Amino acid sequence: MKSKLIGALVTFGLIGGLCSFVYALTTNKVVIGYNINYEPDQPIPFSHKLHAGEMQINCKYCHAGVDISRHSPVPSLNICMNCHLNILPKNDKQTEVFTAMSDKYNNDEPVEWEKVHLLPDFVKFPHAYHIRSLEEKRNASANAVELADESNGYKAHVCQTCHGQVQEMDVVYQWSSLSMGWCVNCHRKPEHNAPVNCGTCHY
Amino acid sequence: MDSENNYWVSLDQWRKDPEFEALVKDEFVSSPFAPDDSESGWARREFLKLMGASLALTSFGCVRRPSEKIVPYVKRPEGFIPGVSNIYASALHQGTEVFGVLVKTREGRPIKVEGNPDYPQNLGAMSARAHASILNLYDPERLTGPKKNLLNEKKSNRDTVSVSWDQLDKEVKKQIAKGSVGVLTSHKASPSTKNLISRFVNTMSAKSYSWSPVNYELEKKANELSFGTNSLPQLKFDKAKYVLSIGCDFLGTYLSPTEFTKAFSKTRSPEGNFGKLVVFEGLMSLTGTNADERYQVRASQFNELVMALVLEVANLKGSAVVTPALKESLKQYKGTAAKLGLNAGELTRIAKELIAHGSQSLVVAGGLSSQTKDAVKVYTAVNLLNSMLGSVGTTVDFSRTYQSATATTSDLVKLKNEINSGAVKTLIIDSVNIAYSAPEMVEVLKKLEMIIYTGDRNDETGRISDVLAAGQHSLESWSDVEGLSGVYSIVQPTIEPLYDTRSFQQSLLAWSDSLKGSAPSAWYEYIKSFWKSNVLTGETFEKEWANALKQGVVIANAPNKASRPILNDAINSLVYKGQHPLPSQFELSLYQKVSMGSGENANNAWLQELPDPVSRICWDNYLTISMKDAEQLKVREGQYVKVKQVSEGAPVEVKVPVHIQPGQIKGVVGLALGYGQKHAGDIAKEVGVSASGFFDGGLASGLKVTIEKTNQIMKLSSPQGHHSMESRQIVVESTLKDFKQDASSGIHKHKIFSLWDTHKYNGHKWGMSVDLSSCTGCAACVIACQSENNVPTVGKKYVDQGRIMHWIRIDRYYVGKPEDPGVVFQPVMCMHCDNAPCETVCPVAATVHGDEGTNDMIYNRCVGTRYCANNCPYKVRRFNWFHYRENIKAPVEMAFNPEVTVRSRGVMEKCSFCVHRIKEKKLEAVREDRKFKATDVQTACQQSCPTNAITFGDMNDETSEVSKAFKNGRTYSLLEELNNQPAVRYKTKIRNTDHLKGAKAHHGGGHGKDHGKKSAHGADDHGQAKGGHGKDSHHGNDHSKDSHSTESHTKGGH
Repeated sequence: MKSKLIGALVTFGLIGGLCSFVYALTTNKVVIGYNINYEPDQPIPFSHKLHAGEMQINCKYCHAGVDISRHSPVPSLNICMNCHLNILPKNDKQTEVFTAMSDKYNNDEPVEWEKVHLLPDFVKFPHAYHIRSLEEKRNASANAVELADESNGYKAHVCQTCHGQVQEMDVVYQWSSLSMGWCVNCHRKPEHNAPVNCGTCHY
Repeated sequence: MDSENNYWVSLDQWRKDPEFEALVKDEFVSSPFAPDDSESGWARREFLKLMGASLALTSFGCVRRPSEKIVPYVKRPEGFIPGVSNIYASALHQGTEVFGVLVKTREGRPIKVEGNPDYPQNLGAMSARAHASILNLYDPERLTGPKKNLLNEKKSNRDTVSVSWDQLDKEVKKQIAKGSVGVLTSHKASPSTKNLISRFVNTMSAKSYSWSPVNYELEKKANELSFGTNSLPQLKFDKAKYVLSIGCDFLGTYLSPTEFTKAFSKTRSPEGNFGKLVVFEGLMSLTGTNADERYQVRASQFNELVMALVLEVANLKGSAVVTPALKESLKQYKGTAAKLGLNAGELTRIAKELIAHGSQSLVVAGGLSSQTKDAVKVYTAVNLLNSMLGSVGTTVDFSRTYQSATATTSDLVKLKNEINSGAVKTLIIDSVNIAYSAPEMVEVLKKLEMIIYTGDRNDETGRISDVLAAGQHSLESWSDVEGLSGVYSIVQPTIEPLYDTRSFQQSLLAWSDSLKGSAPSAWYEYIKSFWKSNVLTGETFEKEWANALKQGVVIANAPNKASRPILNDAINSLVYKGQHPLPSQFELSLYQKVSMGSGENANNAWLQELPDPVSRICWDNYLTISMKDAEQLKVREGQYVKVKQVSEGAPVEVKVPVHIQPGQIKGVVGLALGYGQKHAGDIAKEVGVSASGFFDGGLASGLKVTIEKTNQIMKLSSPQGHHSMESRQIVVESTLKDFKQDASSGIHKHKIFSLWDTHKYNGHKWGMSVDLSSCTGCAACVIACQSENNVPTVGKKYVDQGRIMHWIRIDRYYVGKPEDPGVVFQPVMCMHCDNAPCETVCPVAATVHGDEGTNDMIYNRCVGTRYCANNCPYKVRRFNWFHYRENIKAPVEMAFNPEVTVRSRGVMEKCSFCVHRIKEKKLEAVREDRKFKATDVQTACQQSCPTNAITFGDMNDETSEVSKAFKNGRTYSLLEELNNQPAVRYKTKIRNTDHLKGAKAHHGGGHGKDHGKKSAHGADDHGQAKGGHGKDSHHGNDHSKDSHSTESHTKGGH
């Protein structure tokens, strides 16, 4: 009797543990592998779907300097306020988000965004280089669609090559694996003619 | 072959000391598991524990993604993009040296100081100390705000408390209102500051003093006597084809060494303009090591030497300048050459050569090690020599004079007297650590009612001061400089002050209410108004000001005439009737090290760990002593001696280890300034001994001392010998005459064949050429590289264990007899070999060949087997034994270059050819929509080199500088016989002399001729990269000991 009870307890415990593990996995509390689909909560629920998708604002308007620097600069609040001095929230939900942002701006307090795309240490990824060369290829091609590849989302906006359909993301998540194999696969494509020796990214 | 005729790195090697030979065999001087390590903080057990902990962390790390934040600006400043460096033109004033600089900032913090090519003095070159100034900004020991010291009656510090600036100002103003105020500053190069001080002095009826232990008052005095101007003329080494230095270390520490080095290097091209440098000196200075001919003379006998030269020149030239009285007096110098131990006829020959070069010759004297009690006479005689040769007006140019050397010894005497007499009751001290540099003044200063110190730390002077008005670093505040008269530059801040600090000038403005009425109360406005009325007097001031800020320099017309006639009084002052006393047994010459100067930057780890170019010793100062004296006293390297001054009153005495310096004259001992600072900070503490007490009324040389040996011995830390290349063809020297006949004279070529195809490079192929003829060994490149590439410092203990991390080292080789050796410097960095021995042995392919010919180091692949370092014949790979980064105290990490990976424990690192700079320039080309030009890329070492000894570029481009250099006959590869095909190649050191010291020294002297025939076999035995023919002192022995080489190879292979 006693041993059956213990057995049942252990079984339930195991099942419970498994369930919570699965729950944790599916809700990104635990991520295995390359953090694909990692979608952390952000301090301000900024929607790319609204800005990039519906309003069709070019990525480079807010991420200004991405074609100059090796970083893609996360916009400073004054860039938000460029528009939002005039464009005011339309409903309660928007008001809430808007106030969170404008309060920070007025108090001179920076927003601490949760980093989504985290490259491993010891690897360097210059944004500017990639943006420029992809754009060049896109522009050189008479038919941009020809180069477009649905599987990697290489579309009119070159950013989508690695970041996916950001204009459809309410909350931004990691679309690609950012693994070395993934990088190298692209570098190896004959049309890109990109170097693949170690020192290209590791130095 | 006799080792006397070979290149050697230290006396131990020359003597074939068994300990040294054991050291050479050991790649890693000590094992990490050496018994003494167990007592240290990095004990082995600790190491394993840490390893265990990090292992545990990584296994959990797989399932939890590290969460990081991105914190953008609220309002991003204009013209500023994260990840892109901004560069500001500014200026830097160090001691008497002024640099035009470009400050590189990233994300609002300065990360590197580089030379401004437009600035007429340094012309883009930098010195080691100038590069290291960035680290002083982030010095953790700086004062973080205004403080007050609570002094007791004995004026020793009980406690330091923080106060507000308001409180401090109130207290200071109250004290200043009582009158009897003095202002003490060091050398001041800022015209606005000079103006401010003089206005402060006038309105407050205060007194101002300018003093620094290293000053050029005597040189100025001699010029006043000779030419009627109390100033220092510009020395034009670029126009001088024949330079004669009388104990003047103009390449290392005298007045404006970087400028001089830059100019001097223009006369060191064997293919074009090649001058001659003759040096007379007692100590072995950097200038002496670079001399074509070097003679040893005691500083106390410089006077006789110069007078003898005057006599020779007057005899040969029959100059009318010399007055009859002097002519009569000169007769006594007839036998001087013999008295000084020089060969008969040497002086006559030198005089002849001087006369032959006429106005293109330059005789220089000056600096600490010639500041004896005869110094003014020596300098006056040198002025006379220059006048007789006609070089005043050409190489000695009075049109612009040095405005940066303002300090005088007489001001210190004046200050002392006026404090004693009560004329000064309150003293404001700016940027001069007087309590350390003039210890005799401490008791005098204690008589003051209040000392206000505007230094940046609570050092020796801070501790006896009542008020600490925390000063700023020059990268934090506005200022200006006038290095040479009429050459102005604005010093602009490149970072918000890190702490609650205030510049000295702003403090002065705050403290004097009466100044306020007549001048702007903000220092920035003050500078602007000064410039408006004195420098940029045009109508469009704002525009000109903005332009001056951008350009970094404003050059006004030269204010004076270039030439000045010598005055008769000066000539007559040289008349001397008495006997010249014989020198004492020991005379002390104080000197400055290239790294430490007079000690302002003592708390700088980069500089403390920079090996002195000549002695190759770091983390210490020491008494340099000649071999003969060491033998006589029976002292060994590192043995402590007591040095006692011979004087009335309380003689100064210090206990200091000796360094036996080859090439130093018997009877002279040298001690470097700047060490032994007790309160400059954690790094400077307990490093070396202070030499300040030895200054005798400002005189630094010819000081009579006695030396008494003790039984205590310490180990002086020197990295030379760690990375020995074991007697192969390493440095090649030749004379100018031989070079003219055969450009590749001295180079022993090897026949090389290879079974394999070589790498193919379709795009660029990077290469570097190093000209040993230009290189002076100044070490600017070492610190430039350290700053650029985040190279850690390891501390004295680990330097001893062979763990110094420098990516570029400057090897110094002696050649010939140790009593009078020749010296060659050789910068060695990763050779980026085509057939790199390191690449083939890496078990994890962490070091691989790039498609542009670079040898890349992939840190995240490296597992730290160190096979590569073992297999590197050039010994350029450095291993991270520890997490050096973790030893760094905030905010030093702000000095890191974000473009370069900060390496962690357990990985190998080495010179990368500044690969990040190549990438940066490529990105820049893409950004600017143009084709990438290989000529855009400059490595950090190349950029800062004052002699342009380093050329970097694309070997695939036939027209590039480096391709041209490689075709030059002087070019040779290091260890060519190994067929590594290095991408770094050297050019022979050429000396303009008839006879090289240790001639016949070249590699292959013994076996060169038959070598070619046996090439297959030769390649074989040379191929033992780390085979270590430990006992073979010379390569020439290899053939006879073939059986050995295999044996020792097995031993060598760890």
